[in-house]
Amino acid sequence: MESQPETSSIERPLVSVVDDDESVRESLPDLLKEFGFAARAFSSPEEFLASDCVGQTKCLILDIAMPGMSGPDLQRELKLRRQEIPIIFITASTDKTVRPRLLEQGAVDCLFKPFSDTALLAALNAALRVN
Amino acid sequence: MIGSGKSRNDLPLEASIPAGTAPLESILCTEELQRRPSRPPDYEKENRALVKLVSALADSPSTIFQTLAETILDVTQCDSAGLSLLTKDGKTPHVEGQRFYWPAICGMWNPHVGGGTPRNFGPCGDVLDQNRTLLFTHFERRYPYLMPVSPAAEECLLVPFYVDGKAVGTIWGIMHSDHRKFDAEDDRVMASLGKFASSGYQSWMQIEDLKIQVAKREKAEAEVRELASGLEAKIRRLVEANVVGIVMWNLEGTITGANEAFLHTAQYDREDLAAGRVCWKDLTPPEWSDRDEQAIAQLKATGIFQPFEKEFFRKDGGRVPILLGGALFEGSGNEGVAFVLDLTEQKQQESARLYSEERYRVVVETASDAVVSIDDEGSIVFANPATATIFGYNPAELAGKPLTLLMPEYMRELHQAGLKRYLATGQRHMNWQGTELTALRKNGEEFPVEVSFGEVTRDGHKTFTGFLRDISTRKQAEQALRRSEAFLAEAQYLSHTGSFSWRVATDEITWSEQLYRIYELENSVPVTLELIRTRVHPEDLTLYEKMVEEARNGGSDFEWQYRLLMPDHSIKYMHALARSTRDQDGQLEYIAAVQDVTARRLAEEARDKARSELTHVARVTSLGTLTASIAHELNQPLSGIVTNASTCMRMLAADPPNVDGARETARRTIRDGNRASEVVTRLRALFTKKDAATESVDLNEAAREVIALSSSELRRSQVTLRQEFADDLPTLTGDRVQLQQVILNLLRNASEAMSTVDDRPRELLVRTERDEGDRVRLSVKDAGVGFTPHVADKVFEAFYTTKTDGMGIGLSVSRSIIEAHHGRLWAAQNDGPGATFSFSIPCRQEEGLTSDNTGAATGMGSARDAA
Repeated sequence: MESQPETSSIERPLVSVVDDDESVRESLPDLLKEFGFAARAFSSPEEFLASDCVGQTKCLILDIAMPGMSGPDLQRELKLRRQEIPIIFITASTDKTVRPRLLEQGAVDCLFKPFSDTALLAALNAALRVN
Repeated sequence: MIGSGKSRNDLPLEASIPAGTAPLESILCTEELQRRPSRPPDYEKENRALVKLVSALADSPSTIFQTLAETILDVTQCDSAGLSLLTKDGKTPHVEGQRFYWPAICGMWNPHVGGGTPRNFGPCGDVLDQNRTLLFTHFERRYPYLMPVSPAAEECLLVPFYVDGKAVGTIWGIMHSDHRKFDAEDDRVMASLGKFASSGYQSWMQIEDLKIQVAKREKAEAEVRELASGLEAKIRRLVEANVVGIVMWNLEGTITGANEAFLHTAQYDREDLAAGRVCWKDLTPPEWSDRDEQAIAQLKATGIFQPFEKEFFRKDGGRVPILLGGALFEGSGNEGVAFVLDLTEQKQQESARLYSEERYRVVVETASDAVVSIDDEGSIVFANPATATIFGYNPAELAGKPLTLLMPEYMRELHQAGLKRYLATGQRHMNWQGTELTALRKNGEEFPVEVSFGEVTRDGHKTFTGFLRDISTRKQAEQALRRSEAFLAEAQYLSHTGSFSWRVATDEITWSEQLYRIYELENSVPVTLELIRTRVHPEDLTLYEKMVEEARNGGSDFEWQYRLLMPDHSIKYMHALARSTRDQDGQLEYIAAVQDVTARRLAEEARDKARSELTHVARVTSLGTLTASIAHELNQPLSGIVTNASTCMRMLAADPPNVDGARETARRTIRDGNRASEVVTRLRALFTKKDAATESVDLNEAAREVIALSSSELRRSQVTLRQEFADDLPTLTGDRVQLQQVILNLLRNASEAMSTVDDRPRELLVRTERDEGDRVRLSVKDAGVGFTPHVADKVFEAFYTTKTDGMGIGLSVSRSIIEAHHGRLWAAQNDGPGATFSFSIPCRQEEGLTSDNTGAATGMGSARDAA
């Protein structure tokens, strides 16, 4: 994986992170930038929807269980708004049964925390290819 | 002296002429009368004499003999005159008399009145023999018995005296000296007077006869009259008494008279009788005509007919049985009287008797019991057909055989002795009704019989009749029943279950043996509600009385648990289940099973110790359901660590390495690592198995830790948690982990209660505070669905849950834990939406934690208390 120079961030695709867990919001954007993406973090779906990033986001990394709107709620909302953003779900849950259901409903992938940087990169590449 | 009264009959009748006495001719001189000069007849004197005789006859006929003697004395001028009459009896003249007697004498021989002479040896006899007048001179020469009669008779003239033409005596005159002699005139006058006197006597006798006949006739007539009037009265009474029917009838067939009894029997009335409508021929049914003919033939021959039974038609055509007897009136030849006795009642009695006998016969013949009669010697005189079925003997075959034939060998002597003893003493030595004995069949098989017998005495001999019932089948059934009862008793014994029935109206209570055993009472003691009451634990008496009251009124099934306080102060736990029924009379009756559950209670207590194990298991289980959130809790920091570490490595691998960035990510990695470590520490505390530990617990701190552990889960359930912790909360002594488990349960419970709430905030308030009496309280208030009072009763029950998942064990276990801390856990409906679950526990555990968790087992009751 080649890292992208920080200066060319304008051309870099934007990956948005929506998670209520602060440690994820702190750590994940740094890693995404190391991967060469532009990254933005939001603590809730509502915050994301209210931002100006929805249209520019090329891939959404989305937590499943959150107070207020959940990850799937946001997915449905975006579909309603015809915002076809590839979504990678992440979850701290150990319930593996959610993954096939989410994939069926159009998610690119579903990663269980803690996940490796390679698994994340593969999912991102897949998401951008779809894009 | 012949003439003297007593000796007058002394002479033997066969006195005969002694040898050497003078011959008759020597004393007779009758011819002298004709030869002697005769004095002229003195007719005037003779007439006077006749008049005297006639007047004597008219005035006093009985003196006629005396008058005659006086007359002879007067007209013949003799010295003595009298009569001699033949007699048998010494009084009445009789031709066949064997002796003469002297009824009247005048003159010198007067003193000899009443004397007499023999018929065949004396002057009078000579007169009768020759049937003529005789003149004797000194007759004592031939008839020496006259010798002492003085004065002596110089001459004696005797004339026969006739009655009805037969000589029955003599009249005579005597000259005692020779100054005058009898002549022919004396002979004529005496004969004349004798004739007259004879006819006069005859007339008198006829008159006397007539008088006697008249008197006899009058007496006979009087007797007949009396008899007739008595008989008439009797007959009248008989007729009027109406005891029997009396009819007057004639041979033509008419009944001319009848009394009420007859009319009643035949149901005719007086009018019918008066109108001649009652005819005995019509009353007689045709088949009895022949019998009537027989009676009439007998009647004509003998004047009566013997009573016989026949029938009469009543007026209404019905028949009446009667007894008929009667007679012809004497001399009528056509009319008669008859009595008619109504036999209806007798016939009915007889019929009833026959019916009764027939009925007894049928009973005996058709009885399924053997009926056997024996005489007083023990011989069989009768056996009914059932005897053949039961004993195998033909009844005829048994007649005359000893009863002992029907008994086993060993009983025979006993029976004979018993019979003999009874006949001798009249003392019964066995029960005559329903005695069970052993009998012997013809085929030699012994079998049990039930014997009942009685006796009849006739002509001084006793007959015994017995009913012998084959009870082999019943015995078997009894054995089966006994076995079944034994099984039941055994079952009751093994299950510590007694049973009883209670007839409410009469308070008649019947207990099974086992119930007596449970209550530790003698089997013979009659059971009363009062007696039961004495055993009921004082604390349960109110309950007991209430139960009895409700049972009396209610009539529905009931169930209750109570305790007994035994005399040795031990306590028994009882569980009663009663079902109400109605007996045959529709009276309320309870049938109940009462189980001694003491052992179970003790087992439960033992089990409660084991429950602490369960509590642990449940805690693990409960936490197991939290695994997801615990994993989640760990995965969050782990995720941060992995991501940060990856970033760090990438930053260090860059050219030039981004050292500042790497330092920052490494710092975050350390921070997330610590976070994970804290989670692990908390989990270790939860998962550590400890016995109920007693340590000092700060309830606020314990609650905070649980809340921290649950926070993410609560957050994901979109629950807002507020906490109001009292600052001055004292520490308490208890098991920190167990109490945290309770708090965790309450939080989860509250969170789940709000999972379906969308129309209001899912708010959760956790509050700690001091409670009265040095206690601390923690309550968890939610805004969930709450519960109905009905559910409030159940939420603490083990395994009760309104949730579709989960085991529902949480609240039950929580309650056990709190009560182990001598505290209370309860639920209450909020004024607004939702419910509040609270526990309150004393800060000091005086006796340490207890394992008496019975409250958990009977959570229902305590939940009601809390509510």
